[in-house]
Amino acid sequence: MPGASLSRWSLSYFAAAVVFLLAGQVLMVFGFGYPAAALRAPDTLLVVHCVTIGWLSLLMCGALFQFVPVLVVRPIYSNTLPLPALLLILAGLAALLASFLQLGGHLPVIPHCFAAASVLLGSGFGIVLWTLGRTLSAARPLNLPARFVAIGLCSVAATVTLGILFTLAFGGYTRAPFALELLGRGMPLHVIAGLGGWLTFTAIGVSHRLLSMFMLSPELDGASTQWTFRLGTLALAIVIIAGTVAVIARAGLNAVLVTAGLAGAGTLALYARDVVQLYRKRVRRVIELNSRMAGIALGHLAAAAVLTFACAVSGGFGQYGGALIFLVSFGWLSGLGLAKLYKVVAFITWLECYGPVLGKTPTPRVQDLVVEPRARTWFWLYFAAVDVGTVCLLARAPLVFRAAAAGMLLASAGIALELIRTRRLANVSPALRLPQGTRLPRLLFTFVAN
Amino acid sequence: MSGDADSASTEQIRDALRRVIDPELGYNIVDLGLVYDVTVRNDGRDAHITMTTTTRGCPATDYLQSGARDAAFTVDGIGSAQVTLTYDPPWTPKLMAPAARVHFGIKDE
Repeated sequence: MPGASLSRWSLSYFAAAVVFLLAGQVLMVFGFGYPAAALRAPDTLLVVHCVTIGWLSLLMCGALFQFVPVLVVRPIYSNTLPLPALLLILAGLAALLASFLQLGGHLPVIPHCFAAASVLLGSGFGIVLWTLGRTLSAARPLNLPARFVAIGLCSVAATVTLGILFTLAFGGYTRAPFALELLGRGMPLHVIAGLGGWLTFTAIGVSHRLLSMFMLSPELDGASTQWTFRLGTLALAIVIIAGTVAVIARAGLNAVLVTAGLAGAGTLALYARDVVQLYRKRVRRVIELNSRMAGIALGHLAAAAVLTFACAVSGGFGQYGGALIFLVSFGWLSGLGLAKLYKVVAFITWLECYGPVLGKTPTPRVQDLVVEPRARTWFWLYFAAVDVGTVCLLARAPLVFRAAAAGMLLASAGIALELIRTRRLANVSPALRLPQGTRLPRLLFTFVAN
Repeated sequence: MSGDADSASTEQIRDALRRVIDPELGYNIVDLGLVYDVTVRNDGRDAHITMTTTTRGCPATDYLQSGARDAAFTVDGIGSAQVTLTYDPPWTPKLMAPAARVHFGIKDE
């Protein structure tokens, strides 16, 4: 059944995600939230959720709807459910952002905004989990990359559950002692489960397969990679389970975080070994822009690990926590996300447009849909601006940070325009652009003929 | 006589399959070594192609299969074309033709 393996709504997730990335960066340029406001201030929380839910989580969901079937060699459980999930998440995020605006005094009070956000986000992510969970469940026993994704999905369930408890306690819907304890001291667990478990651990699993696929490297499933998975799972279990128990029992969190941190450091060291092997053993000597930029993003993950270690040793999480979250969110996760998005949009567009006429007429290559030298400039500007921004946050230079955010915004907008050009086949030579039997792809969704 | 027709068609089908590219690598599937076998029987009328993909679960799999079938039908006299997908043995870059290996900068071991 041709086209059965194309995800219908991934492009819609990507489009919405890019809009939230640009929106988050506009807010940073205008000095909204951290560092002008405190890390836990409502304005900061608005920017953080705009980026982590609106950009990173929608990007990850869209990517998983396309790539989980590739990982498990089975069709997605439903190609329809991702749409209502997207609409629910968007509505829930709007309600959440409106709640933060109210808390910050920028909007008049709208009753039950936090409750609406909880219900809508919970339902949206619930459908995502159901769709991906059923797809994985039908493919048991899972291969290694899919097991990373499964743990990532458990982590997003934990992140969303903690988030819902926070919003219910924040909005005054519950006075249950455990919810208030979690609201007071559980924030690190929410952040680590989200950035570390859901986004990073899933990205690690998917990157094992994508890097191997796009660079023609041998797939890694040996003992070292198995230990990457086991140690990472252990670290996340310690943070999420033991951490929650410790908070509710009013015990100290330090022992939990140090133990999980050690396991997390081991995971990243093993992952670094895997990544070096994937790049070294690649058959494709000349690699594409997406793989080169993924390498830069991986370097930022290493830098974030070093900064985490420095904070742990010096007790500087309070002082440098904002810079660390910024580096993880923009240097590592967004850098990797933009790099892979650049490739995946071209790949999906090729399959949608030229797949049906393959063998009948000459077709362009996936690489003909993009102009790498032009995009390369935007990527370098992006990473340079992220690095300047990180240094500004470490050195407490908020005005220069805003200039760096403007650089990130410009670069991200440039990459977004490249994605639109790819989708519109604007880079393909006229002779090959639309052979008989093809049609121009839609910008916001994929036409799937099944 | 029939054997001559079959072997001529086999070569023609291999040529036709060179029009089918692996979208990711941008190179034709024959010289990438993705076509394991082409058999033609019945006086050049029935074609059977055995092929693979670079990665198991590749989203382009269905298109590559139907593309190979459509390419076979462009050869004069072919009345039926069957494409079988296999991952035994799995594809490795060692299966590439020399020209493809040069194109991708792969050194001989």
